[in-house]
Amino acid sequence: MITLRSSDGETFDLDEVVAVELQTIKNMMEDRCAESVIPVPNVEGKILAKVIEYCKKHVKSTAKAEEHALSDADLKAWDSDFIKLDQATLFDLIMAANYLDIKSLLDLLCQTVADMIKGKSPEEIRKIFNIKNDFTPEEEKEIRRENQWAFE
Amino acid sequence: MAGWSQLPKDLLLLIAQRLNTHFDLLSLRSVCSSWHAFIPYSLHPLPSRFPILPTNGTSWGLYLSRRRILHLRLPESHCQSTTSSWLIKVEEDVPDMAHLVNPLSTFQFRHFPPNFPKNFAFSRFRVSELGQEYVLQYMNHRPSGEADEGSLHKGKVTFSCTSNGDDFVMLTIHVSGKLAMFRHGNKKLTLIDDMSCDDLIFFNGEFYAVDKTGRTVVVAIGSPPVLSLVADSVSGGNKKSLVESNGELLMVDTYFDQVIHRIMERAVRFKVFKLDQIRRVWVEIENLGDQILFLGEKSAFSAVASAFCGCAGNCIYYTNSFFFPCGQEDDAYTGIGIFNLENGNMGPLSSFPDYAKVIWPPPAWVYTDNIRGV
Repeated sequence: MITLRSSDGETFDLDEVVAVELQTIKNMMEDRCAESVIPVPNVEGKILAKVIEYCKKHVKSTAKAEEHALSDADLKAWDSDFIKLDQATLFDLIMAANYLDIKSLLDLLCQTVADMIKGKSPEEIRKIFNIKNDFTPEEEKEIRRENQWAFE
Repeated sequence: MAGWSQLPKDLLLLIAQRLNTHFDLLSLRSVCSSWHAFIPYSLHPLPSRFPILPTNGTSWGLYLSRRRILHLRLPESHCQSTTSSWLIKVEEDVPDMAHLVNPLSTFQFRHFPPNFPKNFAFSRFRVSELGQEYVLQYMNHRPSGEADEGSLHKGKVTFSCTSNGDDFVMLTIHVSGKLAMFRHGNKKLTLIDDMSCDDLIFFNGEFYAVDKTGRTVVVAIGSPPVLSLVADSVSGGNKKSLVESNGELLMVDTYFDQVIHRIMERAVRFKVFKLDQIRRVWVEIENLGDQILFLGEKSAFSAVASAFCGCAGNCIYYTNSFFFPCGQEDDAYTGIGIFNLENGNMGPLSSFPDYAKVIWPPPAWVYTDNIRGV
């Protein structure tokens, strides 16, 4: 049993088999076998909870003779529901998945964001992700040039 | 709380790598200052011009020009009573100058409406890339007596290259009807004797070629190139075309009447087939559903009708030289027709205004909306 502590003091108990899905934690376990609680200072409680939820689901699916093993289709459906999040949570999750080095979660989140961007104009992307247009007038000029055609 | 503009560079690049088109990358670059700094102008730097050596050591040379077929729409937040699109083909092979070409033909648009902006900002719109077209052009001048590059090849040019452009393969149909291949590093075209080719396509990472009976092969690039059968012949029409639709490979069989000589052949009917890869046959499909197929002179592509023009799908835009009026100047619709699979109705594009207006003239919302900035 491994215990993780989030930046805001929440603790989470995980089986070792789940904890090793988080590569960063796995490395820490190998280095600090005496520690009982592993601090995760970069990640808030509610985000860490979501990360752990994902890892628990995905570990069960790789175990072979597991009673609760999910089919690929079921897992995909679960993932589709999992990523129905507001953009702020998505951002925090991506940062957490990167810090905790969980490749499959990071791939899923990056693909989700890419799908939200595809085919959209820059202004639409700013609205979706709540980003401010902070270009200097110089940069604005360059952007304009890149984004236009002078038809002959 | 940090926001998306503070996303670290390596994470932003992970996202950018999953974007398929040049325009999505451009949009991403244009969002905010840090993203502009982190994302390169193109993750796959690929010149629009590829020099191809002359085939017999003469003084002229050919280059390959890439054109993109794009679908422009207003972003969703704008009020629109109907789906309105603009379908264009853009050639950007000269820096700071672009050519607007008819998506289905080689006709270049030169006479724009009076208020059309000199510099057209496409970042205001949703831009989707429906396909790419490659055209061989003479480098400096045309040898006297040659009308166009058609003397060397006819039909499509298909092209594939590595992500940084340092290795490429070009496959086209030689004037003799044989497949011709040109690889990076070759001195001249290699002719492939085994088949007389009607059409080519680069689909799912492979080159497919079809002959006039519908027999279809995959061309594996090598020395020598190897052809493997993927579908047997079908009986029926006169000309076969390959097109991708909804992730699948389709073949369109065109029936002509009065095949007097190439200029006078008139398309009267089309049949559409889907590839059954396991049984290696083409299976006829009666209905394209929401899909629209576009069979252009140098490229073929498809679109989803409901997102495209708001009119019904299950139809084909095609090019037919029969539509060229003698002695008249070409206009935007010259040589293009529409075929409706449901009832067999067909005719020149000018008879179908809902389908014609997506091509020309540019819809009003493209240049009358005054939106500041990017």
